Amino acid sequence: MTEPGVPEVKEPLLRRMEPWFFVGPSLILLLSVGLFPTAFVLYFSFHNWIMGMGPAVFDGFSNYADALSSSGFINAILRTFLFLILTLPVELFLGISIALALDQTRNAWMRRLVQILLVVPIATTPSVVGMLVQLMFNSQLGVVNYGLHRIGISPIDWLGNARGAMGMVIITQIWEWTPFVALVLSASLATVPQDIEEAITLETEGFWARFRYIKLPYLRPGIAASLVFQTIFTIKTFDMIYSIEKGGPGNATEMIALKIERIAFSGFNVGLASAESVLTLIVTIVLAQSVVAFLYKDEV
Amino acid sequence: MRLPMLSLSVDQATVEGNVMKPSVKSILLGSACAAAVLGFAPSARAWTLQQAAAPFKGETVTVVGLDRPSYKAAQKLTPEFEKETGIHVKWVIYPYGNTLKAETLNFVSHSGQFDAILSDVVWPVDFAKANWVTPVKDFMDDKAILDPNIDLKDFFKVWRQGFTIKGQLVGLPFDSYSGLLYYNKKILKDHGFSGPPKTWNELLTKYAPKLYDPSKHLYPYVLQSARGETQTADGFTRFLWPWGGRYFNAAQKKITLDSPDAIKGEEFRQKLTKYMPPGFLADNHPQVVQLLAQGQVAMITEWSAFYPTLAASRIGPDLGVTVEPKGPKGRFAAFGGFAYMVSAQVPKKMQDATWLFIQWLTSKSMAKPLIENGAVVARISADTNPALQAKFPYLKPMVETWEHGSVSDWRPQIACYPYFSEIVSDFGSKVEAGDYTVPVGMKKLSAKLQSYMNSTDCWSSVNIPGK
Repeated sequence: MTEPGVPEVKEPLLRRMEPWFFVGPSLILLLSVGLFPTAFVLYFSFHNWIMGMGPAVFDGFSNYADALSSSGFINAILRTFLFLILTLPVELFLGISIALALDQTRNAWMRRLVQILLVVPIATTPSVVGMLVQLMFNSQLGVVNYGLHRIGISPIDWLGNARGAMGMVIITQIWEWTPFVALVLSASLATVPQDIEEAITLETEGFWARFRYIKLPYLRPGIAASLVFQTIFTIKTFDMIYSIEKGGPGNATEMIALKIERIAFSGFNVGLASAESVLTLIVTIVLAQSVVAFLYKDEV
Repeated sequence: MRLPMLSLSVDQATVEGNVMKPSVKSILLGSACAAAVLGFAPSARAWTLQQAAAPFKGETVTVVGLDRPSYKAAQKLTPEFEKETGIHVKWVIYPYGNTLKAETLNFVSHSGQFDAILSDVVWPVDFAKANWVTPVKDFMDDKAILDPNIDLKDFFKVWRQGFTIKGQLVGLPFDSYSGLLYYNKKILKDHGFSGPPKTWNELLTKYAPKLYDPSKHLYPYVLQSARGETQTADGFTRFLWPWGGRYFNAAQKKITLDSPDAIKGEEFRQKLTKYMPPGFLADNHPQVVQLLAQGQVAMITEWSAFYPTLAASRIGPDLGVTVEPKGPKGRFAAFGGFAYMVSAQVPKKMQDATWLFIQWLTSKSMAKPLIENGAVVARISADTNPALQAKFPYLKPMVETWEHGSVSDWRPQIACYPYFSEIVSDFGSKVEAGDYTVPVGMKKLSAKLQSYMNSTDCWSSVNIPGK
């Protein structure tokens, strides 16, 4: 800001563009990797195109109409919502609990070890996780039922029925992604100033009061970030579910990502799959925005 | 035909002493006659792979393969081809579920990534309709690259038919399966059975009750039922044909899965599920093979390709293998397998080089070494060889099945088969899970398939074998 009467000196153009030179390469890469496929999908969502059966033909909104009137698509969306509702709160609750427990741990070595162990589920390839679940929880051949049998419990049909399969997918998702939430929230808790923490202990020894008035405000950005990321990750979950049972038995675990993959690469119906992808993207954006709006509603 | 040489004249020969000195004209005439004789007598110059491959030396042929025994055997033997021809072969291996996707994307994007295309017996209509592959006839017309011993009639008829689309053969069969009944001889014997069941009804009514003992983890039979092509082929279609059920009536453009015969077959399957181990709905090929190998089930119906795995397992000495049981309307065993085709999107030179490779791989002379290395082939001369049949007991029932118990359109040969199969798999799995009764499920399935076939105009692509 200049003083009154002193003419403003404009910075040279090159100087003003300096920040863009730093973020530019990453931005270009991100745009080319993300923007081109998005534009491609948007373009073909307005075309009737089945691979190998002639060229793409402009068809207006008919793919969107077909998707919205398809019980298969609607059911897959609803199934995905159910999957989201059953996993997200559990991941958040467990994530907060683990973050708080880590925060309370005075032993730095123990804290480091737990943080490293938390990375293991996130770092494991989702398709490998799915394959392990398929092997371990097989009714007759899996190690889990073998262990249960050794302690006198009858084998459980984990994957051979709709409820069991859905349950396993939910449990696996929670196991895989709770550590991510815990690590994000742990980082948030690390920003709580030490002097404020010490001050509150003089005021009250109540855990809930300390959590609510001191830690929660600092956790809020981390919670918002976790919820947004987890909403996106959950809606687009594919590898793990596909590896377990390809959406079966029947379509009990067929989430929207699997549904779209089937349309695109079994039916080779690029037009319809593109329309369903765009609709799913809209749903994801609306949900993610709703989370942020809810968490920051008192700041609006 | 009068040989030109007989008209050779020595009229203008001159004589010096006792030696006849031929004139220039007669030398030229003689040379021309010799060339003509050689040209008119092909047997005088035998075709060799080495000679045929000479123009392609140094080229690299990219071949699609699967992570299965037949392709492992092929890869093991490929250096012989490379040594003889100087053509390099690059294998690109995919899991089955990704192969069609990878190949279709290759064609749609014109990437020319693959030279030799692997086609399941349910995919050739797709490839042929879109002109993505070059018909076999085009290579048969080129004597330079055609092995005179190719003998297409040595492939089982059902396999030639399986890859003949609208009258044109489009591929050479490789990795060819039939469904077989594998059984544990000891378990059957211990329960009073001298041999396996001959009919499905026998299996259900006589064998199943005696062999069902969950307390001892013993079950009579398990059916691989996992969502996907396994459910469609192994789970659903297996109980359709033997009861007289059919997928559709192509002439009337009508799905017929809600017919009484089709319903009877799937109802039989439901009765059988009561004797299967819990969780079978999630079981795929490896799981059911392991259940038999570990002695938890007495019988499975699986592809002939699994014989080496089971023979090497702990029940190897007790392993029995025979044809699949018959249904009320006859034996229609599971039919599946692959063929190699040449991509029409690569340059002609590469197509010819590729043809040489797939011709060699599927030749009569390679059939025996392939079988001995764990592959399954559809060559009559090899599969009916008594010495090989004695060494590989699965060959005899497989031959019998292909000759008397198989139809090449056991699964529909239509351009839209992949998604058609997904619909069948979806409903087939739900019926098995008890989400629908069989009549309700089959009716819903028929309606869904009818709508799909009509909306995609898939009826125009139906391939009827032999027509």
